[in-house]
Order: sequence, then C-alpha cells, then structure tokens
Amino acid sequence: MRAQRVAWLAAVLAGCVDRATAPGVCPTFCPSGRIDVVDTVLAASIGRDSTFRGYVLPFQAVAMTASDVPGAVDSRVVFVTQALPASVALNTADTTTSPLVGSDSAKITLTVTRRDTSAHDQTLRLYGLPVTIDSNTTFADVQGAFAGAPLRTVNLDSLLAKPNGVDVTTGDSAGIDTTSKQLKVTIKLDSLQAPYVVGDTGKLGIGVRVGGAGPTSIAFCSRENACGATVAWYIKVDSIKGTDTTLIHKPFPRGSIFDTFLFDPPPAPPDSTLAVGGAPSARSIMRITLPRAIRDSSQIVRATLLLVPAVPARGAPVDSFVVEAHTVAADFGAKSPLVLDATRTDTTTIHVGATDTLRVEVTNLVQFWAADSTRPEVLMLRSQVEAAQPTEIRFYPSAATLFRPALRITYARRFPFGQP
Amino acid sequence: MSGSTVIRVAIMAAVIPALTGGAMPLAAQDSQFGIRGLGTPGRFETVRVRSSGGAFGPFDALSPLTEASLGDLQGLAATAMGGTSYRDVDAAAGATTSLRATRFPVMVLAGPVFGRLVLSGGFTTYLDRTWDVTLRDSLLVRGTMLPYVDELSSDGGVTDLRFAAAWRVSRRLALGAAVHVLSGSTREAAARTFDDTTYHALKQSDETRYDGLGVSGSLLIDPLPELRLSLFARSDNRLRARLGDVVTAQTDLPNTFGGGLRWAPSPSVRLAGTVTRRTWADAGPGAFNTVNWSAGLEVGAGFSPLRVGVRGGQLPFGPGATAATEVGFAAGTGRAFARGRAIVDGSLEHLRRTGAGLSERVWSFLLGFTVRP
Repeated sequence: MRAQRVAWLAAVLAGCVDRATAPGVCPTFCPSGRIDVVDTVLAASIGRDSTFRGYVLPFQAVAMTASDVPGAVDSRVVFVTQALPASVALNTADTTTSPLVGSDSAKITLTVTRRDTSAHDQTLRLYGLPVTIDSNTTFADVQGAFAGAPLRTVNLDSLLAKPNGVDVTTGDSAGIDTTSKQLKVTIKLDSLQAPYVVGDTGKLGIGVRVGGAGPTSIAFCSRENACGATVAWYIKVDSIKGTDTTLIHKPFPRGSIFDTFLFDPPPAPPDSTLAVGGAPSARSIMRITLPRAIRDSSQIVRATLLLVPAVPARGAPVDSFVVEAHTVAADFGAKSPLVLDATRTDTTTIHVGATDTLRVEVTNLVQFWAADSTRPEVLMLRSQVEAAQPTEIRFYPSAATLFRPALRITYARRFPFGQP
Repeated sequence: MSGSTVIRVAIMAAVIPALTGGAMPLAAQDSQFGIRGLGTPGRFETVRVRSSGGAFGPFDALSPLTEASLGDLQGLAATAMGGTSYRDVDAAAGATTSLRATRFPVMVLAGPVFGRLVLSGGFTTYLDRTWDVTLRDSLLVRGTMLPYVDELSSDGGVTDLRFAAAWRVSRRLALGAAVHVLSGSTREAAARTFDDTTYHALKQSDETRYDGLGVSGSLLIDPLPELRLSLFARSDNRLRARLGDVVTAQTDLPNTFGGGLRWAPSPSVRLAGTVTRRTWADAGPGAFNTVNWSAGLEVGAGFSPLRVGVRGGQLPFGPGATAATEVGFAAGTGRAFARGRAIVDGSLEHLRRTGAGLSERVWSFLLGFTVRP
C-alpha cells in the first residue's frame, strides 16, 4: 500500500515536470528574432601605449636560465652558498665543538625547471667564482672566472641514461624528485674543486654554463622559489686528539644565499616599441576604448588582441615563453596594480624567432570591462615568469600606423526581445 | 472520506493554484503554431466544458466564456482546474518530438450579492507563450564556418483577469457583462553555444510584460423550457509588450462573436453546440480570423454525469496562406461529494492540429475542483 502511494506520487510529480524543448522548424515555427553575431576589427581603439622595465630583476626571479645560442644570447647561472660554521659538535651529546679544518667533498644539487629535451649532449659545466658576486655583478665581471677550466663537466644525457641516473664513478646523479616532479641533478666535487676556505667561511661561488651539440638552454629553480641550488658538505674537523683530523661522515647541507643569471648581450635600451619579457622584466600597457554600442549593448563572444612583432624574440627554441594579458585595478601608468585573477587573465605563447602577427585571446578581459563599466579599459602585458630568462618580444606601438595593435571583436547584438 | 474533508481538500485545490498563480504557468495549452504569432489562445472553459468539447461553454456558470450564465448561480461557488498535456510534434522533415506541459489555466470565484445580481472574478489564460526551440546551424566568422546551437525560449503568457456581473432579468432572460484586464509576462532567453569553445557561449534574457483591456457581454434566452440560446460578444483593444518602460510592440486584439444552443430533451440528457468567430487577422501578418465549433452531450443528472464532445476550427497563427486547423474529441465525467457541495471533474481530450509543414497530436488529462460551500 505504501509502495503504491509512493509510485502514485512519483508518477504525479513526473507528470508535473515540463518538457518544452523542441527542435526548431525555422523560420516558419521559430520566433522572428535571431541572434545577430558581428565580427569587427577595432583598428584605432588601442592607444596611449608604452613600455616600462624593471618590475622584477633577475636575482628576484623564480627561475634562472643558462643558454648557449651563438649569435643570440649567452646566459650563465651564478650562485653563492651559505657559510659553514667555524666548528661543529662531533656528537649530539658533546658540549665542546671541534673546529673545521678542511673539506672532504661536496655535492651540489640543482633543480631543473625546464630542459631542452631536443638538444643532444646537453652538458653542465661548473666554474668556481668569487663569493663576492651580488646583484651588481655583470656578465663582464665574471668573464675571467668562466674563461678557465671548469671544475666539473657533466653530460646530462649520459647521466640520465645510467642505471637509476647514478654515475658510481664520479658520484653524480640525476633523477625526478618524487615530491616536486622536477629533475634534480647532483654533482660531486672533491676537496680541490670545493675547498674549505676559512677566509670565505666555507661559502662557495659557483657558475654554471650549459652546452650541447647545438644551441641549447636550461632553466634552474631559484632560491626565490624555495628550490635554489644547495650544497652538501662532507667536512673534516680537528679531533683535538693530537694532530689527527676526523672526517665527518654525515653531510652538512647548505642552501644558497644569492643566485642570479648573467647574460650577454644585455637587454636593448627602451625604444618606441612595446617590449614584454626580458630581464629585468618589461611590461607594456595599452589603453583601449571600446565603442559604447559594443560595451553597453552587446555580448562579447570572442576578443583577440593583434600585435605585430617589430623584431622576433631571440634565444633558443626552448626559450619560448608565455605572455599574460591582465587588466588593472586602477590606471596609474607603470605602477598600475594588476588584477591577478585567473578567470580574468588571458595568455599566449611567444615562440622564439617567429615574426607572425601575435594573437592574444582577451575575451575574458573584454567581457570583464563590458560587465563593469567602472573598470579601466587598460591592458597590461607581461611575461608569465618575469625576469626568468633574457628572451623578450617587441611589438609595434599604436604610433606605427600600418602595424599598430588592434582588437578583433566578435560580439552578439542585443536580441530583439518583446517582439511577437 | 467524510464530506467535510472532501470540501476542505477541494477548497485547497481551488485556492492554492490561485494563490500561487504568479509563479505557476497559467497557460492552457502550448502549440508550435503560436511561436511565430502572439501565442496560443487559451480556452475559457472549465473541465466540465472541456469534457464536452467546449459545447457547453456558454451555459456553464463557472466557465469564463460568457457572463450571462452566472445568473443561474444560486450560491457562492469556486472552481479551479489543472491539466497535463502530452504533445507530439511532427515536422515536415519527419522528426517527431514529444513534449509535456502542466498548467493551471482557470480559476473562478462567483456568487450572488444582491438578489439576482451575481458577481464573479477570476483568471484564465488568454495567450500562452511558453516554448523552447533549439536550432543547429553555422555561420562564417573570421574566414571559417562556425557550427553552433541556438536555444530560444519563452516562458509565460498573458492572463485574462475577469470581473463579471450577471443579472437574471426574468425566467427566460439573463444578461451579463465583464471587464477583462489582460496582464502577464514572459521570461525570454536566447542562447548560443559554439562548437569551437574559443568563442564563448552567449546567453541573453529579458522579461517582457504585457497589458491590454477588453469588455464582453452576453445574454441567455430560453425560448422553450428545454431550449436555451446564448449569444456573446467580446472586444479586446490591443496587447502592449514592454521591456522595462519601453513599448516594444503593440498588437491589435480580436473581437469575438459567438452563439450556442442547448437542448435538454429530458432532465438527464443535454445536447449543446457552440460556434465562435474571432477576428485574429487584426493582429497583423501571419494571423487569420478563426471560426471554432463544438458539439457535446451530457448524460446523467445525478452526481456522476458522463460527457462527450467534439470540436474543430482554426488556429489564429501559422505559416502559409490559410490557417492551421484543429479537430479533437473529449470525454469525461465528474463526481459530486457532500451532497453536491464539492465536485471533482476529470477529462481526457485529444486534439490534432495540422498546418503547413507541421502537425501536432495532443493528449490532455484535466482535473477540476469545484466547491459550493
């Protein structure tokens, strides 16, 4: 009886649910109004554009790029490791400490965020650098240090091809970190290659160059991204038992206190073009004036920003980078605060060497402006990973009449509701 | 179930649809033929009348078709009805689509106030504008053909709020008149989804409000004790559509003329026929004047009468040079409770509509509640 009642109720409720959708037999049995979609290029709607540089400096970037592209760019990674203590306790229960007298060896670990997998015989060469390098150090300042013989040279392809990525002869290893899923390369240095210098308090200055069978590039994680280069020291201490010294068989890990990358040629000085990317990072700002008919009375279906490169981006093919288009919370020129909202950010990839017109889909942004007329119609272009590589792109500005930026908009006019 | 319980249930069934009328669909019956026009006209009939094909409409006191019949009411009465329609739409291309709709199209409250004067108020569907069509097509954008799917929909309609009065002048004559306030709205939406998701889907919607005014009058004459004649006329001025405060369309509404004859050869057998003409062509291109007829039989004077009827005629909107046609039959019965103070009527109706390029088959299940406290 109860089941019958439930079934009866279910049948009644099911009957109350409308099913009104039918394929239209148009035009005779469709409403008279139609959705009208228009596609237009707004050639003169972008203006008051300019470029500003210096938002992020190379030593503040989340990655560092080493590249070897003859005739285009030569980029090298440099870093300084943390100091060692003057003395250590041999055992945890010891109340006295033993002074460091030298090193036995050290293992330097680098985290690779991007690698040129198409390059053959990609090698890393480590050089000893002065520990005094800082943010003012230039490419020319360390040219001499890089001119000598490298401390170590490691062929990444060969190392990765070994069982478990471990070279039992040299002590080097390479493998994917199970947590971060990033490639970690560990290179062993002996006591001559990584000496304990009391005057430097155990700091190490290291430079890294990349090479290969052809132009190549590699990016390392930086300390700003919490995954910079580290060194694990195996040290010797004075045992305070006559003249003996004791080798401590456990590593003393140390991070890096400074890291950056230096490259040649340096970034070209600002000119009339619109630059995006590079290191220090450059951003381009553009003011857009949407026609009121589009902004107020239509619905944006697609909007594409058209940019004509003034010069192709230079670098290794793997140095392609992503450009983000943001809008700003308020228009303060170079200091306009970006609206950092993934749903209101549009991106495109800049391919090195390409000269084709660049198309950035900015539908999200234009819809954002159309939805809220109080928002400034300002577009800011920046590299997704700012100052992490020297590669930059330059576009023609609005002053270049023939190649000026343009906005191609596909929109739907207001549907004629209220008509029989 | 006791009589008082039945009355309570019946009152609730009659009042709840009235109270929620603003939120519930009030249309009588949708049709694809009404999409291109003003909509699908509602039927000013209770379930009792629908059971007989509409033939008894001019003689039923609680049907909002005429007012003079209110003069026969001896006490307060209220009625409401609901129904579910199952509609198969056959397009010329061969595709058949099954649709379903549930509506509450009629609610009437009436009763004598001063002697032989009877007043009535209520609502019924004037035009139904509920439909939802999808369309597959493509357009050339940025040098490539872009397939898309459109969905155009409208939900709502125009309701006829009627305030009527009737006067039983004599045993053989009753007169009635009413003012009709047409009011309603439709929630309209247009959406397009592109196959290429680079093009964002778009959806626009708005609410269109409608208003209009009408007057009607009718009379009932009993030339013989077993014969009753009804004549009725109605004039509606225009239907104005507004988006916000902007008038987007103004359409002339039809005049209605009709007559009906009821013959009761015995107390338990009644026959009736009705003809109605409406000048829908006034609404503009694509609209046609219509003539609708119906004939019906009611057998049984007790608490469970049996009713059958047929109807036919034209639809006011549709493509082509001539109006689409409609034929149908209906049957139903009723059951009175609590010494006739509560009545439940049920009806099954079948309609077939045929026009240029489309035909529809409709089955409707109708349920009506009437209370006479």
